[in-house]
Amino acid sequence: MGNSNGDSGEVQQERQRNCDISNSWNKMKGITEENMPKECDSSTVELRARKNGFKDNVVEAAPTNGCLKNCTANTTQCATANGTACSNSNSNSKQSLYTPAKKLSEFAAEHTRKTSFEEVPLHTACLTYLGFYLLMILGYINQLLFVPKVAKEENREGYVTLYDAFESFYSRYVYRRVRDCWNRPICSVPGDEVTLKDRVTNDYGWSFQFTGTETRCLNLGSYNYLGFADATGPCAEQSEETAREMGLAMTSTRVELGTTQLHLDLESLTARYLGVEDAIVFGMGFATNALNLPSLISPGCLVLSDEKNHASIILGLRLSGATTKVFKHNNMRDLERVLRYNVVHGNSKNGGKPWKKILILVEGVFSMEGSIVRLPEIIALKKKYKAYLYLDEAHSIGAMGPHGGGAVDYFGADPKDIDILMGTFTKSFGSAGGYIAGSKRLIDFLRTNSHAHCYASSMSPPIAQQIYTSMSIIMGLDGTDTGRQKINQLARNTRYFRRRLAQMGVITYGHEDSPVVPMLVYLFSKIGAVVRTLTTRHIAVVGVGFPATPIMEGRIRYCLSAAHTKEQLDYALEVIDEISDRLGLKYSRKPREPNTIEY
Amino acid sequence: MLQNIIDFCNYWWFRYLMVTELYMVEKWERVTIHVIFAVLFCLFWYFNYSVLLSFTGSILGITPISDSIEQQAAKIA
Repeated sequence: MGNSNGDSGEVQQERQRNCDISNSWNKMKGITEENMPKECDSSTVELRARKNGFKDNVVEAAPTNGCLKNCTANTTQCATANGTACSNSNSNSKQSLYTPAKKLSEFAAEHTRKTSFEEVPLHTACLTYLGFYLLMILGYINQLLFVPKVAKEENREGYVTLYDAFESFYSRYVYRRVRDCWNRPICSVPGDEVTLKDRVTNDYGWSFQFTGTETRCLNLGSYNYLGFADATGPCAEQSEETAREMGLAMTSTRVELGTTQLHLDLESLTARYLGVEDAIVFGMGFATNALNLPSLISPGCLVLSDEKNHASIILGLRLSGATTKVFKHNNMRDLERVLRYNVVHGNSKNGGKPWKKILILVEGVFSMEGSIVRLPEIIALKKKYKAYLYLDEAHSIGAMGPHGGGAVDYFGADPKDIDILMGTFTKSFGSAGGYIAGSKRLIDFLRTNSHAHCYASSMSPPIAQQIYTSMSIIMGLDGTDTGRQKINQLARNTRYFRRRLAQMGVITYGHEDSPVVPMLVYLFSKIGAVVRTLTTRHIAVVGVGFPATPIMEGRIRYCLSAAHTKEQLDYALEVIDEISDRLGLKYSRKPREPNTIEY
Repeated sequence: MLQNIIDFCNYWWFRYLMVTELYMVEKWERVTIHVIFAVLFCLFWYFNYSVLLSFTGSILGITPISDSIEQQAAKIA
């Protein structure tokens, strides 16, 4: 049990297999360089052929001055990454910088050691299911006897019901009972502390009344990883200045009158930050996935998607019409099995012809599981089977790695090994929007074909300024080491918080370096009780239950921030310890650390 | 002393409500479920007593105590 990803018995075999991949990776390394441009070529042509719009632009958009071959990953050399001044190039420097020193088997062993998905105790599992059935039965009885006014659809003769029956039943008769724990209005900046607007319900969650009072809480719920969500400081000041200068909205799309120098600067800074050739930014993080995936893949393509991928990815895949195969969460064995099968058997709907493209789609840090992608192994697999890799760094960008460069930075991988780097500015940067980064060809292709670029409104200038300033701070371009301090503070907070929770004996999921910390409470009532109790003790957290997680795995999710101090975390941990005893949350059967944990 | 016992009972009653999800339902629903639980318990008890007990007795060849008492009583009478 314990320290495994549900396949602990297979670790040995997996190591063996990893050695195989590792060998093949070494072989690949030599030839990938030559292969890549060719692959890019064919894919771009194919993609363009599929689209019927913007054909005239294709010639213009094609990278005439792209530094496709000689732009190194070394960000200092590649100062303005979008093309012109890429000074140097030998690919040797890149090799020496980014070739992982460790073998894949070591990465796998490290992953197994650091990641924990402890299994639920049997009696808790039984009780959880029993409780869920009980709630459903009570819900149906309640629905039979009392139909409140809001639940009726009136004057609808001849119409079918507009709202899906089960969902409305579920939200009215199960979720409604603990509705006070969600959608809580706040009235302050979500920094290290947040002010909740108090409300009461006199009818079991059907309606709420504001009491007019407010509660100041320690904020363990926002994705404010680096603490850039702030109403004061350089980010806020510069954003304000930009707002006064340029207003709040561009009222146009990027391809019309919506592009300013700020947007272009932000794109080149993003590219430089990530160590790639070019980047494109969008005004909405969710749409970055949902609207760009359909322009990259089409029916006849195969997508291998991790089972815990975010809703935006799933929506994007559905919109694209590509065939999607789901592999088990972070399970390289399963991924390779699916990959190999599909490479060998091809598209069964098309008489076994090869798939147009195969895309592996994973996230850097999984927001509900708190686990980190097994990037080195996935890169090796993608090279072995010649698949493309799309990495969603929404939660990891800024929050992971010694330079805040996301999962890529954390593993010391070469950013060019990932074909499509996607991420959002909504979390670590304390702003809004998302980006896609990669080769210049890819970004030019998206500039002509992406719906989020062509049709969606351009990013608001103060929003862009917030990202630009916070990114500059993280990179140390402002001449201070504030960014580095924030990254280190977050890493320390994460380690400390996770280790203290493990010492208490509660079950937490995921990787020990991930700032998302899900604490398993299993039962619905316990989610409600924990959130309510913590609110009375001035701590704001987020509870997650069915349907966002499997029925069995209700959890409380803590999101750590660089803005938290040790004292704040100590207070939170003390309270969590107390309520875990009182509510019975200490399910873990792992050995506990007997010594005091140092910050 | 008494207060301690009351506190103990209250606490475990709360824990019981928590694991059965009855913590988050309305009061009348809680009562309904408890009535259903009680009825189920009684039915099971009656079933075990009247059917299961004599059935297992006949399989294992155990004479129920009540039978032997009745026989003794009959003898005495």
